[in-house]
Amino acid sequence: MTRQKQSSPIPALAVLLACAIPGAGHVYLGRAKRGIIIFLTITVLFWSGVGVGGVLTVDSQKEKWWFVAQMLTGVNGLAAWQRQKQTYKALANVEGETIDDKAVKAGLGRIELVTPAETVARAYSGVAGLLNLMCIFDALMLSIMGARGEPRPQEDQPKPKVPAKKGAAT
Amino acid sequence: MIAAFFHNPITMSSNSELLLLLPLCAAVGLIYKTIRVEYLSQLPREYVKLLAYMAFGLVALCVLLWAIHTYWP
Repeated sequence: MTRQKQSSPIPALAVLLACAIPGAGHVYLGRAKRGIIIFLTITVLFWSGVGVGGVLTVDSQKEKWWFVAQMLTGVNGLAAWQRQKQTYKALANVEGETIDDKAVKAGLGRIELVTPAETVARAYSGVAGLLNLMCIFDALMLSIMGARGEPRPQEDQPKPKVPAKKGAAT
Repeated sequence: MIAAFFHNPITMSSNSELLLLLPLCAAVGLIYKTIRVEYLSQLPREYVKLLAYMAFGLVALCVLLWAIHTYWP
């Protein structure tokens, strides 16, 4: 039986996949279980933040640095940003002083995001993005090293020799 | 109803804010250990160990800050 040789992974593709979908970089590198864990954890954490803070959690206008972190969650961040843009678009033609007043007049209910919900929402969704950054970096390093699949147990490999101390056996 | 949940912010009290650090720590620990462990079979044990460290560290920090706040002249 011949064994098919696996091609070495392309680092740029691994990074691109990891940026687009959390965990996809690891799935590409043959670490599907790790990829699924990463995807579920980051997605649940991000949408928990949006659940707490509502549609204004991802705010490209007021919180630019949090927004950058949130966008690192890939499709999750993009979907939340799209919802936020739709909301701002719906509020654009409504007269009023604050976004909350505008939202009430537009029939969207109260959507003002204030502390402590704001802190929790932005921390959850932003940290989710930063965690994905860590996963992107890991996928990049693994692909540069040419790693494919899970590492095999090293039971059958010989133990490394311990170098003898200088002057120990004189 | 779910759409409204993800649209409007939920009302929270400041008391529960610190408790919400725990799910955040759990998520950070899980991702960190998923990346770090060499074999996936080690993940549950390593994850529980890290969670225990984090919980202990947070409690120790809370006690320290409470003591400083209470007894500092």
